[in-house]
Amino acid sequence: MKSNRFIRFFANVKLAVVIVLGLGALIAYGTIVEAQYDMERAHKLVYKSWAMYTVFGVLCTSLISVMIDRWPWQKKHTGFVLAHIGILILLFGSWITQKYGVDGSMIFQIGETSRNIVITEPEINVYASLGDGGYTNLYSGEHDFLLHPLPKDGLKIQAGGHQLEIFEYQPYSMREEKIIASETKTDGPAVRFQMQNPNVNVTEWVIQTAEGREAVQDLGPAKIVLTSKDYDAVGQNVVVLRPEPDGESLNYSIYSSRSPAGVAPRKGKVKAGDTIETGWMGLVMRILKYMPNAKEEVLFHKREKPTPLTQAAIRIRFNGNERWMGLDSVLKFFTDQAVYLVSYGNKRIDLSKVFQDPGFEMRLKKFEVGRYQGTNKAATYQSLVEVPGRGEVLISMNEPLYHQGFTFYQASFQEDPKTGKPTASVLSVNFDPGRWVKYLGSLIICMGTIHLFYFKRRYGKKSAEATT
Amino acid sequence: MKSFLTSLVLVLSVVLSLGISLSANARSTDPLEYLPVQDQGRVKPFDTFARETLQLIWGKQTFEGRPAVEIVMTWLLVPQLWDQKQFITIDHKGLKEALNLKVTEKHFSPSDIFTNSRISLVFQELATRREAKEKLDPYFQAVQRLENQLGTYDAVRTAQMPRVVPPKEGDAWIPVGSLQGGLREKFVELSRTFISALPQEKQQDKKDASLPAVSPEEIKKNGEALKTATEQFIALARAENPALYAVDSDLRLEVHYRHVHPFMWAWVLYLLSAIAVSFAWYSASSKMYRGAWGLAIGGFLLTIYGFAIRSYLTGRPPVSNMYETVVWVSFGAVLFAFILEAINRRYYVLLAGTIVGTLCLLTADSAPVILDRSLQPLEPVLRSTLWLTIHVLMITISYAAFFLAWCLGLIGLVMILKGDSVNAERVRSITQASYRAVQIGVVLLAPGIILGGIWADYSWGRFWGWDPKETWALIALLGYIALLHARLTGWVQNFGMLAGSVVASCLVMMCWYGVNFVLGAGLHSYGFGAGGVEYVTAFVIAQLIFVAYVAYIKMARSKQVTSN
Repeated sequence: MKSNRFIRFFANVKLAVVIVLGLGALIAYGTIVEAQYDMERAHKLVYKSWAMYTVFGVLCTSLISVMIDRWPWQKKHTGFVLAHIGILILLFGSWITQKYGVDGSMIFQIGETSRNIVITEPEINVYASLGDGGYTNLYSGEHDFLLHPLPKDGLKIQAGGHQLEIFEYQPYSMREEKIIASETKTDGPAVRFQMQNPNVNVTEWVIQTAEGREAVQDLGPAKIVLTSKDYDAVGQNVVVLRPEPDGESLNYSIYSSRSPAGVAPRKGKVKAGDTIETGWMGLVMRILKYMPNAKEEVLFHKREKPTPLTQAAIRIRFNGNERWMGLDSVLKFFTDQAVYLVSYGNKRIDLSKVFQDPGFEMRLKKFEVGRYQGTNKAATYQSLVEVPGRGEVLISMNEPLYHQGFTFYQASFQEDPKTGKPTASVLSVNFDPGRWVKYLGSLIICMGTIHLFYFKRRYGKKSAEATT
Repeated sequence: MKSFLTSLVLVLSVVLSLGISLSANARSTDPLEYLPVQDQGRVKPFDTFARETLQLIWGKQTFEGRPAVEIVMTWLLVPQLWDQKQFITIDHKGLKEALNLKVTEKHFSPSDIFTNSRISLVFQELATRREAKEKLDPYFQAVQRLENQLGTYDAVRTAQMPRVVPPKEGDAWIPVGSLQGGLREKFVELSRTFISALPQEKQQDKKDASLPAVSPEEIKKNGEALKTATEQFIALARAENPALYAVDSDLRLEVHYRHVHPFMWAWVLYLLSAIAVSFAWYSASSKMYRGAWGLAIGGFLLTIYGFAIRSYLTGRPPVSNMYETVVWVSFGAVLFAFILEAINRRYYVLLAGTIVGTLCLLTADSAPVILDRSLQPLEPVLRSTLWLTIHVLMITISYAAFFLAWCLGLIGLVMILKGDSVNAERVRSITQASYRAVQIGVVLLAPGIILGGIWADYSWGRFWGWDPKETWALIALLGYIALLHARLTGWVQNFGMLAGSVVASCLVMMCWYGVNFVLGAGLHSYGFGAGGVEYVTAFVIAQLIFVAYVAYIKMARSKQVTSN
């Protein structure tokens, strides 16, 4: 068949060699980006970039052109045609997945429910409360500043007559919380203390976020409570601290789990620098700092490269207030008329809406970790989940739950850093309409490759005989 | 055929007799090797535990000619003798500088390090790094190693290790130091017989004049006593919780495996076979050729034997770490070489296969720090063994075919160097064999990658996630596909095909080794110096230079021809 010039150009096998090498070089660059930064950056800036789509586009054109060029196909073309068609189908399937698939995760604490899956597409929402208890969504939009960098003069969003301005973005920043003295009288007190005995040395803060509310620092076997009200601590190891009106000293009461009911707690008065004998295992409590009014300040320090502790952060201006906020956080702004909430976080998909079942939610009933004998190394783990209409389902490594087209895989878990006990289970949730297309493409590629291998050999033998 | 069989029989009988002579060389402390201990998530013989511990701290599995069992047991019994002895190996220069140690020294005593004024500071820095979850650079990897060495030695000298008795409840075994009652007494008895069964040289070494000289016969008798004491202790420990205790035959098999060292004998045989086939090629001696086959098959059978034991002991196919894949690649390369050699019988494929086999097994044997040969438990997600097995086996065996092509490529390039007009026919047929090997590789790698996708989809819910390992496997595949297509269009001729199969093997190196040791360590701030990166880089650069050199010579020749 006479092909036109376009087809002939793209059917050139030498061009194919160049395309294949180009694709290899591009994705090799992607792995270097991943090693230097992280997976997210490599995915967004290389694997899903325009350069990548262009290479795939040229590759597909070349694959199709060469098949048209060789028309009419003969028997010897079987392997070649199969392999090429297989690749095209596989790429088509990947495109379907990319376009219509969902790939997210679901985290729930043991005993709690969840119906949201989180996907790594950051969005910004602005809500207002006009004092009636409910919140109205004023603005909602996807903003991935890694993929689409902020304009030089910032991004301006109009929300309910106010302007939200985003003027700085740090993809990798370390969050630091600082507790500092506050001028505002409505801010609650804060105490920094140290607990020490020959085996233990802990330094912690206990801070009341608002005056009047009680603050508890739970250290496992003992608790430190900062409150101005009564606190029922009978039968536990608790130090209750109460601010004195002088703004310098604290009243303390020490309860012990071993003292019988009815025995009054030991009481006294301390200032910063003083120590208290708690009487539990020789623990001495030292008050390092006391502030009658304190607030938490959140700082973000810029890092060039990500670590597992860095997060993305944006600097925003709303109604004249300038604040930093990290990914997955909410800030409150007060005006005379209303309270505004600005949230910056990964997009959530509400499964009850997807399944059109308003009552849909999953409950994590039980979570178990099996360990290798005599070690802390996890060997297996599994979640016992209650699913509406399905009852209890066990999701374990390599045994996912299939529900309404979605697949729920056991991905990982979170554990309490102090006790080492698991606290939450992480499922990876996936909806992939391109799966069977990809499988079909894969099968055809394999058939084609194997056919090429065997057919070449027979062909090679025949031609060798012919020449001798 | 007859000479082939005789050489095969000869080889195997030599190996077997070597094994027997090894056991004739038995030491009176050997009975202790079989004592089951729990360590790193599984129950293993004391022999394995001692070898791994000594390997970690000293860097080899014997110390001054004495076996690991004797060394580790004396740490436990007479630590005061060891605290001053220089046997903790530190390689990293920066770490020695940080600790104010002599940079020219390699080994240090525990007390050198325990009393070092900077040690806690250095460990504190490591802890800070870990808390910040930062990647560890080679310096901190060295600190981590030292921490591990000291921690392990300290655990043994304070009897928190080894763990020798299963608990009545739970699954963490009881260490020597916490034994109570009858078990404690039995262990003391065992220790006493162990000391008296120590071979003479050890006692002289202690320079302890209070110990009387013991005749070899007496030591042998004491060895019997140690055997009895060990057996009694094992019986008592087993009675504590029989369900958790080790199966005797498994322990024996593991000790046997450590003693016979099948992979070492396999590379020796491959090397002999490579030499034999070279001679056969040179002299066209059919006897030599059959002998080479026999040697190679002997090595191959030993590899299978070693593999079978490892698989049986771990309960999974042995392809879950670098060490095991290196051995597996040697297996594949020799297997493919057998097949191709059987078809065309022209010496060089067998030569290439045995060379690749020797190189792989030699590397596996000589780089224990990078290639961890211990039998390790698996990460949870790797425990779905069916898919894991099929796809990893396929991908790594495709590497074997590519390395066979690589070696054929090098042989072919040498032929070109020796004059391509004289060797034209040879070069053509070597190129054909190399092309064939690349095809075998592609036909295994492509489905292997796809099966990997299916496994990932099944376990994680994604078919393809641009994970560096899978991406580099794809890059290697693309490289070879480009090579095959270039050959198809006639863009590359014999030289191009041979050079291509050498150069493309660098992609396989990157996927197999580089992803873990270059990308994994982080290319950015360092990259060189961890896990033998400098050797691998030198190897890669050397072969690229060789290819460039051959290309230059070839160009110079063709110029000459045209100018004439």
